[in-house]
Amino acid sequence: MSTTRNTNRSRLLAAVLGLVLLGTLGCTGGGSTANSQDPVADVPVRDGGEVVIGAEQEPACADWLSTCAGSIWGDWLMRRPTIPVTFDIRKDGDDWVAVPSDLLTGEPEVESTDKGMTITYSINPDAVWSDGEPITSTDFAYTAEQIRDGDNIFDKSGYDTITEVATPDPKTAVVHLDQQYANWRMLFSNTYGVLPAHLLEGKDRTATMRDGYSFSGGPWIIESWKRGTSVTLVPNENYWGDKPHLDKVTFTFIPDTAAAFQALKSGQVDALYPTPQLNAMSQIEAGLPGINSQVDPQSGNLEALWINNDAFPFDSEAVRRAATYSIDRDALVDRIYGAVDVEDPAQSFLSPLVSAYASDSFDQYELDLDEAASLMEEDGWSKGSDGIWEKDGRQASFVIHSLAGNKRRDLMLQILQQQFADAGFDVSIETTTPADLFTKVAPAGDFQMGLWTLVDYFPEPTLDQPFGSANIPTKTNGYSGINFGRVSIDELDPLLDETETELDVDKRIETTKAADKVIADSAASIPIVGIPNILLWNEKVGGTVSINPAEGPFWNLEAWGLAEQ
Amino acid sequence: MIGYVLRRLVYSVPVVLVASFVLFWAVRAAFDPLAKLRQSRDPGLVQRETERLGLDKPVPEQYALWLKEFVTGNWGVSTRTSGDVRPMIADALWPTTQLIAWALLCGVLVAGSIAVFSAVHRYSWGDHLLTGLSYIGVAMPAFWFGLILIQLLAVGPMQYVDTDEPFLYFIGLHSPGESGFNLDYVRHLVLPVLTLTIALVASWSRYGRAAMLDSLSSDYIRTARAKGVRRRRIIWNHAARNALAPFVTVVALDAALLFGGLVVTEQIFSIPGMGRLFLDSLQAGDVYVLIPWMMIVAVAVVACNLIADLSYAVLDPRVRLR
Repeated sequence: MSTTRNTNRSRLLAAVLGLVLLGTLGCTGGGSTANSQDPVADVPVRDGGEVVIGAEQEPACADWLSTCAGSIWGDWLMRRPTIPVTFDIRKDGDDWVAVPSDLLTGEPEVESTDKGMTITYSINPDAVWSDGEPITSTDFAYTAEQIRDGDNIFDKSGYDTITEVATPDPKTAVVHLDQQYANWRMLFSNTYGVLPAHLLEGKDRTATMRDGYSFSGGPWIIESWKRGTSVTLVPNENYWGDKPHLDKVTFTFIPDTAAAFQALKSGQVDALYPTPQLNAMSQIEAGLPGINSQVDPQSGNLEALWINNDAFPFDSEAVRRAATYSIDRDALVDRIYGAVDVEDPAQSFLSPLVSAYASDSFDQYELDLDEAASLMEEDGWSKGSDGIWEKDGRQASFVIHSLAGNKRRDLMLQILQQQFADAGFDVSIETTTPADLFTKVAPAGDFQMGLWTLVDYFPEPTLDQPFGSANIPTKTNGYSGINFGRVSIDELDPLLDETETELDVDKRIETTKAADKVIADSAASIPIVGIPNILLWNEKVGGTVSINPAEGPFWNLEAWGLAEQ
Repeated sequence: MIGYVLRRLVYSVPVVLVASFVLFWAVRAAFDPLAKLRQSRDPGLVQRETERLGLDKPVPEQYALWLKEFVTGNWGVSTRTSGDVRPMIADALWPTTQLIAWALLCGVLVAGSIAVFSAVHRYSWGDHLLTGLSYIGVAMPAFWFGLILIQLLAVGPMQYVDTDEPFLYFIGLHSPGESGFNLDYVRHLVLPVLTLTIALVASWSRYGRAAMLDSLSSDYIRTARAKGVRRRRIIWNHAARNALAPFVTVVALDAALLFGGLVVTEQIFSIPGMGRLFLDSLQAGDVYVLIPWMMIVAVAVVACNLIADLSYAVLDPRVRLR
């Protein structure tokens, strides 16, 4: 498979933007962690009324297929409430899984052949757009072609394997792929959904949708988008599923976290979904009177130390393993996230969202300076008079690259620097912008170690993207792929290929865990923590409130309402 | 005077042109306009856009192309939003213009009053108090003052008064669903205008006080006193009027600097103006917004300088311009 084909938008988005994008699931009020399977709040509501929610980021545009729609907040505020998708992400036991949405009559039929695979979608006969026109197979064909053949498309993963979308009848769409695609449930789901052909065909899609659009195939419709100020949603009267309780939901943009917290305290906004920065966590720990909170560690966000396996000194497996033994990840996580009761470091390169596929292979690494020293000495290193490891006249010095302006990450870097120093590594820190880091430094391999976050929001494994050798960006392939660490392990690639094409879930879990173990054994990079998600809301808000790590905090906004007094 | 204005306008053209080239070169050197597009991992698309936008040409040639489009009203398309830049800037200018207008009005009135009071009551406890406060005002960072104001005047009272909504708002210029000049607007305006004017009032009041003291110690004031002119008339009609020239000059020169303060203030109070637009565009490396944004500031600085010179000539009859 080609790199581009395998690139999941969510992973790509996170890698490129390096943003801590949120999405998760459940806990308790007051900041304590609880089982995320159950809703945190289920308060009886009355019909009518309005809720104002603070939004940390404003999307740049609402043409969801385009590169300008990179902000996850755009998904949460506008796309998800208005664009129908084929699969919803729901909790099943301890795992998050994709289940057919009410756009379909049930699970699509999947037929696998030597030439590829065929997916047959049966569309719900009741499914209609907000103008009353039925949602049809033509809409599937239009959407697929726009993505597959379009310019300025954010990510064509999976869609570029589509050879044809047949429309035998208006309510049946048959999608032909030219190869097996294990992540086929992501098609017409994940971040794209299905667009209305009867309204967009023959028009400039970007111009029509960029500043918000008037159609909907979901429970809400966009009433207005005032740039820089707010997005307002009102119920879609033609929605065929459960109708919203509220008359209106307004998302008001508050980019400053401190101001957002004050706005919640003063009642100017009724709910927040803040980035877990230190000040946010300390305020939750201190208690917010009259405010309910849910802190959920089961997110799709995985913060990790990404190692360039081609760069000195990490071109040696022994050094990579020694570095991994040199850091106390437990202490690091406790100091950074202890305020919100997140204590355990990540033991896999799969985020908590895809924990069903994850091994705990990295639990072999705990702080062990003796083991680190032993590995270094076996590899020919010795400590100099300044306590830094040396070999062939070169010191074990390296730079950790990261993004500027994130206080939580700054603190993490300082702690790491100290821990590495104690183990005999000379570490300096260099921070830059996302554009610089993810379009220049990382793709070119101009780094030794980096700290950034990958984000999943579809429950399928994606180890191939950061660790498959086919995904190493090079000049030859136009710097495509996000295997920035130049990881190339002979026994790993076949396992990753199998993961990408194996349709049997049990076998995919088995091979993914095996791949995870190979990555851990070679210390190709170091996972740190699944970053928790936080949802805050005041007592005015009722209904079923809980975070969904894949679909965000407003996944069931139609179930929200004003609490009955 | 008209000739002077025309000459200054003509002289301003090369200044603005040089500034525009320096800005263009600096922004292009610092940012990659296609950074976002590169996320698509489609080298062909990036290549096509590079050629379409002329990014493969030398910077002077790029500048010439950009300038030609800019003066004809085509300010390009934002790489962040895919929308036209000109309406984006026009939309952002309106809230900013409101903030600047209110800040200037309030700043001049408050600083002017303090200046007159301090000069007339020189070395009184009131003068010392206002002097001390002005030093605090100059030293206090706008973002910190804004957050303190929010806590003290909006959030704090909520904890003691049994009410569902704060008396003063601090998110945007209107509540959702509201518009126009009304009580809601005023309740939104108080805190950002206070934040924006605190440092200006502090510094302007010091300039005003010095100018007023100069004026009060002038011979013509002594003459007026000797002639028995009433104190109030001496202060307001003679001294304050003559102190106005240097005061207004400082105000005009500082007005352009308000853009800098707006970046912080608009961020804290979530106001979708030029400051927010600048920050958002800077973070996204959106050169097609950053360059015209800076051009507008450059033009504003030149215009404010011109206004300062003109106001001096208008207010002080001893000054002649040629």
